[in-house]
Amino acid sequence: MSLAKVIERSRKDREGWKYTDLEKLLSSSFRPSPQSGREPESRLFSSPMEKPNGIPAFAGMTELNNNGIQHRIVFVNGIWQPDLSHLDRLPNGVINFGSFDECNLILEGQTCLITAPIELLFLTNVDAPKEFATKLHIELGANGRLTLIERHEFSVAASHVIETNITLHPQAKLVHGKIVQGGSAVHLAQTSVQIAEGAYYDNFALLKGGRLVRNEIDARLTGKLAQCTLNGAILLRGREHADTTTRITHAAPHGTSRQVYKSVIADQARGVFQGKIVVEEGAQKTDGHQLSRALLLSDQAEMDAKPELQIYADDVKCSHGSTVGDLDEQALFYLRARGLDETEARALLIEGFIGEILDEIHVPEWRDTCRTEVEGWLHGK
Amino acid sequence: MLDIKNLHAAVGGKEILKGIDLHIQAGEVHAIMGPNGSGKSTLSYVLAGREGYRVTQGSVTFKGQDLLALKPEERAAAGIFLAFQYPVEIPGVTNMNFLKSALNAVRKARGQGELDAMQVLKLLRDKAKALGMTEEMLKRAVNVGFSGGEKKRNEVLQMAVLEPALCVLDETDSGLDIDALKVVADGVNALRSKDRAMLVITHYQRLLDYIKPDRVHVLAQGKIQRSGGPELALELEANGYAGFVPDEAA
Repeated sequence: MSLAKVIERSRKDREGWKYTDLEKLLSSSFRPSPQSGREPESRLFSSPMEKPNGIPAFAGMTELNNNGIQHRIVFVNGIWQPDLSHLDRLPNGVINFGSFDECNLILEGQTCLITAPIELLFLTNVDAPKEFATKLHIELGANGRLTLIERHEFSVAASHVIETNITLHPQAKLVHGKIVQGGSAVHLAQTSVQIAEGAYYDNFALLKGGRLVRNEIDARLTGKLAQCTLNGAILLRGREHADTTTRITHAAPHGTSRQVYKSVIADQARGVFQGKIVVEEGAQKTDGHQLSRALLLSDQAEMDAKPELQIYADDVKCSHGSTVGDLDEQALFYLRARGLDETEARALLIEGFIGEILDEIHVPEWRDTCRTEVEGWLHGK
Repeated sequence: MLDIKNLHAAVGGKEILKGIDLHIQAGEVHAIMGPNGSGKSTLSYVLAGREGYRVTQGSVTFKGQDLLALKPEERAAAGIFLAFQYPVEIPGVTNMNFLKSALNAVRKARGQGELDAMQVLKLLRDKAKALGMTEEMLKRAVNVGFSGGEKKRNEVLQMAVLEPALCVLDETDSGLDIDALKVVADGVNALRSKDRAMLVITHYQRLLDYIKPDRVHVLAQGKIQRSGGPELALELEANGYAGFVPDEAA
């Protein structure tokens, strides 16, 4: 989907884009934010699964360090790079590319179980066009298991629209993680998920800033006993803007959904959370919970939260909540009385606030990656 | 070690401490006893440097330094430790990480080298074991879901790790059953040394059966009303604070 098309969509859906006025936000045509001078390149491949040293900077890079990574799909400026990717250990037919900007991952029959995570790495370089788009199609057959980690690292002020369609057949389980290191770029993601009987979709997004980031997830629990977890950590500073918009539709009975998003917003940055849980008639015994918590670190930081419940069944357990606040003064004093200076104390409290949600990540290497990324952000990166 | 002279302090515009004089030498244990609302906790917060506790008059000198000019973290580095009456819960931060951060912060400020994770772990294990704390408690978030007794043990653990020169124990006995009280008191007594002073703040004499003070002071209405030896605590236990507070409050 092109950027123009997303803008058109947003025009037709004013309510859904209430706090993210694309036209207004893009009118300055990606004017770099105060943070954008820093090139994230040296940390491009800083995942703890790799060797800490000998990591090539992206410019002039000829090969990626593949230590520990079994499956990796690399896109540069939205174009699939067969030479940089590592797909040879994947069973035949699991992956195919409709074109260089369209990737299909289909697990069925014998190939349904892939234990090592598949990493999708999206990079940019100086040749990046102003805008590019990617389409992902992911389908897990019955009892399929997959962990998919997306990493989006922008070194230029490009705009990336990524559309993802996911189908989970009965009893399938997808762990879907994503890190967006937006820099001065625009990242607009729209993910649609169909979750069949007994299947489980587990999404965690770590949004580390960006000129404009929108992470939109529309999940539909179509079979009974389906489960969906959408969690996230959002870290913003400068004039960054990140919008998380979720919609979970319970269309079958005995479904469970959990959402917890934690935001830390500094300077003049702005966070948006719009979450809607829809329980359709007949989706009895639905258990749905949603929570957005934000820490505002400056007077000019802003958080807009709009939680919504639409319930058409009568025997359900649903809740939503949202909090916005500053750091706890008592906890700050406690830490300072133990010798931490104010900066260290604040950093530790923020780390704890975000740490709680990182603890919910069940894939250890993925959790460690997120932890390292959060620590990096707290130390100014 | 600690010299408090004519200390007046106000909270929210209301004067709570109305001229306190107190002198503590290294190696001594002083107890401050007093009824509720006498200013005991205010004194402990003033010593630790809590915001909102404004000193309006007087001075506090600690090891020759003007304590009141220091930030809370500088006081901790200088050797002041306040064991909180109500230890704060910090979700998401493990006890281990907290203790490591605190230890390295004071070590750095004291010009000692920082310790790595393994060294800290070893130190914590030994000290925690002596207090009957499990390793699992080190992995949990700071004070979250801890019982009253566990929270107080955790305070004493921090004290043992940070090795302060002056320990201020604010109602460390509150909320403890007799077994927990013994464990906590043993932990405190293990830290007694000729280089370290202690200021034990308590409402009840009970704690002083386990932590024997050299001097006992009665704080009431923002002033030290009487000072004496350990026998003063027993006298208070027998007669209460009736002689020190206005009749209507007694």
